Amino acid sequence: MRKKRWVPWVLVGPALLIIVLTTIYPLIAALYFSFHKYKLRKPPQFAIQFGEGGLYIDWSLLTLDNYALAFRDSRFINSLEVTFWFTVISVALSVVIGLGIAVIVQKGGRLHTLTKVLLIFPFAVSPALKGYSWRFMLNENYGIYDLLIDSLIVKPINFVLSIVNALPLVEIPLISESIVWLGDKFWALFMLAMSETWGWAPLIALMFVGALGSIDEQIFEAARIDGANRIQIFFRVTLPLLRPVILIVTMLKTIFSLKMFDQVVTMTGGGPVRATQTINYYIHQVGFVRGLDIGYASAQSYILVVVLTICAALYVSLVLNRD
Amino acid sequence: MTAASASRIKPGFRQQSAKLLETAALLLIIAFIMLPILWLALTAIKPQEKAYTTDIIFTPTLDNFEIIFSDESVIINEGTDRERGEVGRKMVPNVFNSVVVSGATILIAIPLATLAAYAFSRYQFLGNGVLLIWILTTQFIPAIVVAIPFFTLFRTVEIFGSPLLGTRLGLIIVNMSIVLPYAIWMIKGFVDALPGEIEEAAYVDGCNDFQILFFISLPLIRPGVLVASVFAFIMSWNEFLFALIIGREMRTMQVALMTTSGARGIMWEQMAAAGMVVMVPIFFLAMFIRKNVVDGLTMGAVK
Repeated sequence: MRKKRWVPWVLVGPALLIIVLTTIYPLIAALYFSFHKYKLRKPPQFAIQFGEGGLYIDWSLLTLDNYALAFRDSRFINSLEVTFWFTVISVALSVVIGLGIAVIVQKGGRLHTLTKVLLIFPFAVSPALKGYSWRFMLNENYGIYDLLIDSLIVKPINFVLSIVNALPLVEIPLISESIVWLGDKFWALFMLAMSETWGWAPLIALMFVGALGSIDEQIFEAARIDGANRIQIFFRVTLPLLRPVILIVTMLKTIFSLKMFDQVVTMTGGGPVRATQTINYYIHQVGFVRGLDIGYASAQSYILVVVLTICAALYVSLVLNRD
Repeated sequence: MTAASASRIKPGFRQQSAKLLETAALLLIIAFIMLPILWLALTAIKPQEKAYTTDIIFTPTLDNFEIIFSDESVIINEGTDRERGEVGRKMVPNVFNSVVVSGATILIAIPLATLAAYAFSRYQFLGNGVLLIWILTTQFIPAIVVAIPFFTLFRTVEIFGSPLLGTRLGLIIVNMSIVLPYAIWMIKGFVDALPGEIEEAAYVDGCNDFQILFFISLPLIRPGVLVASVFAFIMSWNEFLFALIIGREMRTMQVALMTTSGARGIMWEQMAAAGMVVMVPIFFLAMFIRKNVVDGLTMGAVK
């Protein structure tokens, strides 16, 4: 209807300019840095230079060393592994628990509604604060989680085990009641993923509640009339219908998990012994804390960019192909 | 038939136990969600000697807030061997930084995002679909990639005679990279939901594009813009990586949480108090945009 062609460009222009400056510029600059020897301590020498003859490129200054180093650096490989396992655990827990919460909460009822309102609460807690509060609560001396896990999970299991052990059949070792959660390599990573799950599972539940609400109630009614029980309805009706949303949410959470940083700083500090050093955390260490090696940090972050680009492509195709 | 109606009047053991199980599950969910938040709130008002226990019976106190906000030495617990609490944490400037950075970020981002969102929703122009998808994908760029070049740039670029690194302005600039894309998508959703007939009518009556935008459409999408503003505020308030790398000594509250440690490690009662300052305002804001958080986080992908 409207004819003036320049109007949309005037409206989009300023926002687009700022997005380009704050995302495209750093993407290009980081790529450029990644091919240089560039440490913060001394001013860098860049390949593209302005000399007397105008612009010229000094090819000798370009190097692939940073990328080569990344694949030799056992700490970087370690950060890839940590990020992989963190992502697997946190995504699986968030999506499964989120789905479970959604299915339980979805029906009417006063307690259901109250829970639905509370689901938004973890969103208000910043990741940095989340990390600190979990670290505090997992403390082996005065942490409330430590107390609850020991008294509600470990002790009952040990009680059962001790009864079994009393029979002269097998000897099962009891679980330690003094695990230092953030001092143990496995548990530290697991608890880091749990803190992430605490923040995300409720939000993912909200996403599923929305998706469940848009499913025609008659479909469930029909299944019920056909004699399906709740478990059958969940696996044969609900789950297939939610499949597109589950895929999108899983992909989205995967992307967020791959970028894990905040809680690592405030909850574990990467430890114990690098067991929770995610890629982002290690890049931060290399670039800003230990080596001050901007070139190497850029190369590593570009490897992360490549991984995320693949995920983003998958995500976008999932979103676009959803009917 | 009679059996079915009888079981409806008098729920059998199976139904009753199922209901009981469901209630138990709901209570478990509530405990799962609320425990960290309540524990933090409790710790924030605990006296110091109780903060390092799991006791829940104590005399509430505001001492911890007094410590984190004071500029001078505050001696609490005088006479005990524990020295913590003697240093004022000077949190006021940090709160100020957080408010200014988040506030300025939305003041710049929201008007620009509103205009862009309106154009994306209402106009067909060269590459608008591709541009929109591209904006969607910018959220997947890891913040560290944005932080590295801006860190080196801000070390050298000076404004008013001092480098941009470690300034609120520097933080506001990099915050744009995360806030703008979300805001555009969120507001676009609200414009999309607005029927176009009113604008058509105004156009027929002789309004030009900008008159329609400013006098017809904008007033109608104001609630949506407000929701997007709140969402953007929360995002920049909770932002940590930029605050750490670009903000540096110009600490926002997220980074200031780290300054609650002393010789004996983190002073949890002070961290909890600072945590309440970080969390409570966002709580109210989050309740306000409760219905839109999912759309905001997923940029409308899950509907």
